[in-house]
Amino acid sequence: MRQRAIWSAVLVVGLALAGCGSASDSGKSTSSDGKLVVWDWKSGEPFAKSYLEKAKADFKKKHADVEVEFVAQPFDQYYTLLGAAIQSGKGPDVMLFNGGGQIRDRVDALVPLDEYVAEDRQRLAGWEAFAKDGKTYAAPVTLQGYPIYYNKEIYRKANLDPATPATTWDKFVADCAAIAKAGSKCFALGNKEGVGIQFWLSSLGSTTLTAAEYDAWIAGKRDWNSANVKRIFQTWKESGDKKMNSDGANSTAMFNDSFALFQSGKAAHVMGLMSDVGHWQDFNEFLTPEKLGVMKAPVVTAGTTPSLPYDGGIGYAVAKWTKDPKVAADLVRSLSSAEALKAFYADAGAIAADTTIDVSQAGPAVGTIVGELKSGKPALHVALSSKTLDLMGRLSQQLLSGSVSVDEVVKQLAASDQAG
Amino acid sequence: MRAERYAPYILVAPAVLIIVVLRLYPLLLGVNFSFTGDGAQNGTAVGFGNYRELFADPLFQTALKNVGLLVLLLPVAVAIPGLLATFIYLRVPGHRFYRSVYFFPAVLSPVIVGAIFNLLLAFDGPLNAVLGSVGIEPIDWLGDPGIAMFMVVGVHIWATFGMALVVFLAGFATLDPALLDAARVDGASLRQVVWHVIVPSLSRTIQFVFVTTMIGMLTSMFGLLYVMTSGGPEGSTYLPEFYIWKQQGQMNRPALASAASTILFMIMLVVGLLQIKLLERSGKED
Repeated sequence: MRQRAIWSAVLVVGLALAGCGSASDSGKSTSSDGKLVVWDWKSGEPFAKSYLEKAKADFKKKHADVEVEFVAQPFDQYYTLLGAAIQSGKGPDVMLFNGGGQIRDRVDALVPLDEYVAEDRQRLAGWEAFAKDGKTYAAPVTLQGYPIYYNKEIYRKANLDPATPATTWDKFVADCAAIAKAGSKCFALGNKEGVGIQFWLSSLGSTTLTAAEYDAWIAGKRDWNSANVKRIFQTWKESGDKKMNSDGANSTAMFNDSFALFQSGKAAHVMGLMSDVGHWQDFNEFLTPEKLGVMKAPVVTAGTTPSLPYDGGIGYAVAKWTKDPKVAADLVRSLSSAEALKAFYADAGAIAADTTIDVSQAGPAVGTIVGELKSGKPALHVALSSKTLDLMGRLSQQLLSGSVSVDEVVKQLAASDQAG
Repeated sequence: MRAERYAPYILVAPAVLIIVVLRLYPLLLGVNFSFTGDGAQNGTAVGFGNYRELFADPLFQTALKNVGLLVLLLPVAVAIPGLLATFIYLRVPGHRFYRSVYFFPAVLSPVIVGAIFNLLLAFDGPLNAVLGSVGIEPIDWLGDPGIAMFMVVGVHIWATFGMALVVFLAGFATLDPALLDAARVDGASLRQVVWHVIVPSLSRTIQFVFVTTMIGMLTSMFGLLYVMTSGGPEGSTYLPEFYIWKQQGQMNRPALASAASTILFMIMLVVGLLQIKLLERSGKED
């Protein structure tokens, strides 16, 4: 009997230790001396291989004794995992962020990088998307913008001149009617997740809001009752009412269904991206550079000047709990070094944050976009909080289905925006 | 002898320890967390602030309404495998083939099922093409807020009824064939056989399927929702589980998500206790 009790005790202790061990492992800090852990959703992709090699080599020159480990997370769970890490106060030393709300909502867990990245200020563009209250929390790797791509082939079929796309909204609507007559849709729209409206808002922002309204919007002084703000949502509704969009927009995913519609020639335009998805290189398989055009937003409000909406796309930040912020910041600098970004552009096709990179080989569309960067302005939707963007997504679906008015939409968005 | 007296406690201890440390303690932490603030207020007590916000949020209200809809649709989700199992038991022509076909979706992952139905139900997809060929206007199955939730629940039932079917077939194995023979000799119609012989004989099985189907509907529709509608259109297909994921992962509101989790836990608790009561009562009748 005594032996049985002893065995029982051994079993209990063994199981308890096994349980405790696994529990404590999951909460263990990944940060340790001589090693930096990086979380992102890019390092697992084949196109990122040479980018990472270049960045690692650059970092090795400064800190030969520090090992760097990249942990690629699935993008759809990235912020959930990161949220858990931030909540526990333990996790990666360096982490990748999308610019705008995603990083601004989490600056409490990040180290301001201003003193470390001063030298890179001039060389890189897109810093604003990673800043909050005058402090910068990440260094940009790519730029993210919302150019309007169009299919020159469909223009020709509709007897429109591909070299001179419409410059005013009214002419654009007329062109869309001609395109519909020729058997294509005007816009490839995917608004299943409510993201389509974000691209719409930013793409048409500079030609609908006055320059003063635009700057005030970015500065956080948004007048949702202004006639021009309402006009943006009216054009969105108009595009639905006049059947300019691809069918079933509310049940079409933007990635990659709507882009596939554009790429396969079923729609003449798409409000796309300039990072590594939904952009010219993505479309290349069917829309070769000579068939793909990039146009300026048509002028909705007379007297406005179109400009390319863009911000920092993705960037690396340093966690508050890292042991040596200076070393981690050096890694961030290596990840946005000129050589590394050159490789990122060459392999992924994304417009890198370093605008001095030569893009002359990539075709006319890329040349047009890069040429617009100088006069470009931050995108309107990036200035909004995640909560307001989420609400705007749902309201945009209601606008398309006709179950809400534009006045009601701006009223609800104003309330959400003011609440924070 | 003293050691022997403690042996049962020692043997139970690992299980108790694991339940307490890895289940109850995190649960209490979560409940505690739901009474604190998010963001700048991280960790500070806010009382019932999160709960007030939660119940004022139209999205969470939609999620709760959809839970109610699931409860209403539960009899359909149980009746379908029940009827099909009955036909298989009564050996309709081709019953062997149907048995394996019906079970097949149960082995598919919800993500695959969602992707398949996304294709089938797309606006320019095959289902609308078939409808178009008989002159019916295309329907936006997943883009119409009045239809989308029914489509997701329908696909969930399609994907999971195989398991319930197997349970029903196991129940049929215990059915006394003499009762069926007697009913047939007495000239009972198929409807009468089902209603007066099969349903009463399988009452325990039916209750079991009710319990497991309800749990499945409340806790395992996330994958399907995520792939098919992402909570849309217009937020019409939100369920508490999806709401929790959205607040924690996308909105960076972990404390609010904890409050929603606590509410979901309470719902499950109430549903679970009601079902246990139901089972106990039927046990007494036996």
